[in-house]
Amino acid sequence: METRPYFVLGDIVSNVGVGALIGVACAWLFPSGWNIVVTMIAGMIFGMVVSLPMAFLLSGLFGAMETLLPVMTTGMVAGMVVTMQSSLTTMRPEETARIGASCGLAVVIVTYLANAFIRRRATRWTT
Amino acid sequence: MDHVTRTKWDRAAVVFDLIASYGPEKRWEAFKRDLFSNMGNGEILFVAVGTGLDVPCFPEGRTITGIDISQKMLDQATRRTNAYQGCLQLLQADVHDMPFGDAQFDQVFTSCTFCSVPSPVDGLKALKRVLKPHGELFMFEHTGSRFFPFRPMMDLMTLLTRKLGPEMNRQTVENVIAAGFTLKKVTHVYMDVVKTIHAVST
Repeated sequence: METRPYFVLGDIVSNVGVGALIGVACAWLFPSGWNIVVTMIAGMIFGMVVSLPMAFLLSGLFGAMETLLPVMTTGMVAGMVVTMQSSLTTMRPEETARIGASCGLAVVIVTYLANAFIRRRATRWTT
Repeated sequence: MDHVTRTKWDRAAVVFDLIASYGPEKRWEAFKRDLFSNMGNGEILFVAVGTGLDVPCFPEGRTITGIDISQKMLDQATRRTNAYQGCLQLLQADVHDMPFGDAQFDQVFTSCTFCSVPSPVDGLKALKRVLKPHGELFMFEHTGSRFFPFRPMMDLMTLLTRKLGPEMNRQTVENVIAAGFTLKKVTHVYMDVVKTIHAVST
């Protein structure tokens, strides 16, 4: 598991920042009144695609795959969660940013745990 | 020589260090040093030396031939290769058509190479040809993932990155086996995506 402060902080800032941006953008693009299933899928795809160029830019600072995969996951999850909520009720931008940022933080924690688990177990699948 | 691939990497050479020299190298440096510490005293081939980002991780005093398909990449590598304390010779060559005799090298090393070789199994077979019997192949590579959501994400990324540089969803471990190598060890650096591979030519 990554323990160097530069990379741990970089992972958190990247994912929280991208999550907040995707949250605000999704709520703006998919306001209340849309069908919840349609907006969930649209938000998921939008979040994943839009987070891709951001992830490429951040990867130069914080590492290639270690940045690309979590940031795209954050985009996907934040897009999905925010659009589901914003389709039900009108939300303020700071609310959507907070939800998106929370998704980013959750993705960092889950990917760190997944990395530890997969690295320990993956040898049996490939040798 | 594959002109499409050469042109692609000639273009990438301009911005390659900007993208790859800091974050990825700092993240992976310890794993690369560990892998390259396996460099022995025989003849070593390093495939796709690029702008020489890996050179500072090489142990001193080795005899290494570094190849790359892009002359512009090699031009940028000069500063780093000149600083190497050992015998490091650079050559522009395509891994599919290397100007080396059969069984010339004791070891072959690659670093983020087989995400970009157009025909990976053929490229690995070419490495097997230039390796001596029981010669060793050491690779530091990123590959596709078997897990959701990473697998479809990497397929999506590949649609965009294929034209500009690497592919993100290669199955390099399976390709090593398909090329006729015997797998000795796979170590996972990040999830099931970034890994080191040790194989032997049999």
